[in-house]
Amino acid sequence: MSIIENMLCSKSHEYLYDNGDNIYTIGLTDYAIEQLGDIVFVELPEIDSEFKKGETFATIESVKAASEIYMPISGKVVEVNENVINTPETLNEDSYENGWLIKIEATGDVASEENDLLEYEDYKEELE
Amino acid sequence: MTKETFLHDKHVQLGAKMVDFAGWHMPVQYTSIMEEHKTVREKVGLFDVSHMGEVFVSGKDSLEFLNKIVPQDISKLNYEKAVYCQLPNTNGGLIDDLIIYKLGILNYLIICNASRIDEDLNWMVRNSKNFEVKIDNQSHNYSLLAIQGPFADKLMRKMGLNTQQDSFTIKPAKIANIKVLASRTGYTGEDGYEILVENKHSEYLWDKILEDGKEFGIKPIGLGARDTLRLEAALHLYGNDLDENTTPIEAGLSWSIPKDKTTDYNGKDIILEQIKNGTSKKLVGLKMIDKSIARHGYEVYQNGEKIGIITSGGPSPTLGVNIALAYVKNNKEICNGTVVQVMIREKLHDAEIVKKPFIEKRNKIKL
Repeated sequence: MSIIENMLCSKSHEYLYDNGDNIYTIGLTDYAIEQLGDIVFVELPEIDSEFKKGETFATIESVKAASEIYMPISGKVVEVNENVINTPETLNEDSYENGWLIKIEATGDVASEENDLLEYEDYKEELE
Repeated sequence: MTKETFLHDKHVQLGAKMVDFAGWHMPVQYTSIMEEHKTVREKVGLFDVSHMGEVFVSGKDSLEFLNKIVPQDISKLNYEKAVYCQLPNTNGGLIDDLIIYKLGILNYLIICNASRIDEDLNWMVRNSKNFEVKIDNQSHNYSLLAIQGPFADKLMRKMGLNTQQDSFTIKPAKIANIKVLASRTGYTGEDGYEILVENKHSEYLWDKILEDGKEFGIKPIGLGARDTLRLEAALHLYGNDLDENTTPIEAGLSWSIPKDKTTDYNGKDIILEQIKNGTSKKLVGLKMIDKSIARHGYEVYQNGEKIGIITSGGPSPTLGVNIALAYVKNNKEICNGTVVQVMIREKLHDAEIVKKPFIEKRNKIKL
């Protein structure tokens, strides 16, 4: 689980993983998925669309409700995971290796934008 | 303060995800809504619906009283039979929907929605002034377990139920040697029973049903699947599809209202007028064309003009498409087969109006 060990998490349950070269993977934590239950619909942004930290970039729907997903840092979308659009239940199995949402090129000051993000262990602790 | 049913600890022990519903701390799912849904359609599921209200109505004028507060003709309700009813205000808007059971001479049971017990009781008391009637809220003394699915009857028989019951009947019975009232009703579109039992026996009965139901593949089912099951069966949910500004005729419940009831009841003029002349809105079923999901409160459009609003919506695990109920303008151009649009996150998505219920119901048991 290399992603879990090296990612940062937001309090709204998105994770951010540094791929190097200013490229980051964004997805939802296992805790968030567990809370949502069966995922039945995923709406992702178009490639090249830009979002600021905190803006809604995706919508994930469980059987019960639609949830907005927020950018943990500012960035431009360079890749979206078509796999989760076609088979949303992938997220229930694994939201990291196969169930990531988008990859972005950071467009802001990552070091300062990361300030309010937590390492996984601290994030888990915060939940308890 | 959030209320708990007598089975609350059982749900927690089973690992249920608990949510607040109508002031009650209730299980929304134990494992997965999709799986639980499938279990009820294919096997049998057990629900704790003890949050629902049980009100006993008795006394010399009980029949006349009930006939005053519901459009249905309670004088035609036979012993041990049940009837689906509404509780209209004087404008025909719905305070609640209910099931009324005739338990004996001048002795009735009303089962009502958890979210509406207080409103129902207030309304009943206000309407009881000129009647000699006892309105006895026993909700706190009874648990209600629903056993639903194709194997529900087999399971109940295995547990000692020896009554012969059509759908919409209620009988005193013994299940696992516990005295209960067994009603052949439900809220899933499947055959099944709703078992009214004293609180002191509910934990034992819950465990015993899960134990004896193992061979039929029983699972406990949460409120999440209860909602997807009832939506597929196009059964109304109070607060979503029904409210005080909606009449039973608008809600598509004309089938439940006798046109020849001679006695007066609340909202009668408006209800009969709407049966005769029609209504400005009607409740329709929608099937989404793409993968998007219509939810409660989303707007419905046709040719760019707003024509209605979604009241319930979500995935149909049985059909593998997304479905919804919506109130739309009542005109001939908006009918089964018509394609309309639902506004979802500022984009229009096509949906087809389809007949209700979305699935074939299997709950009409006639012996």
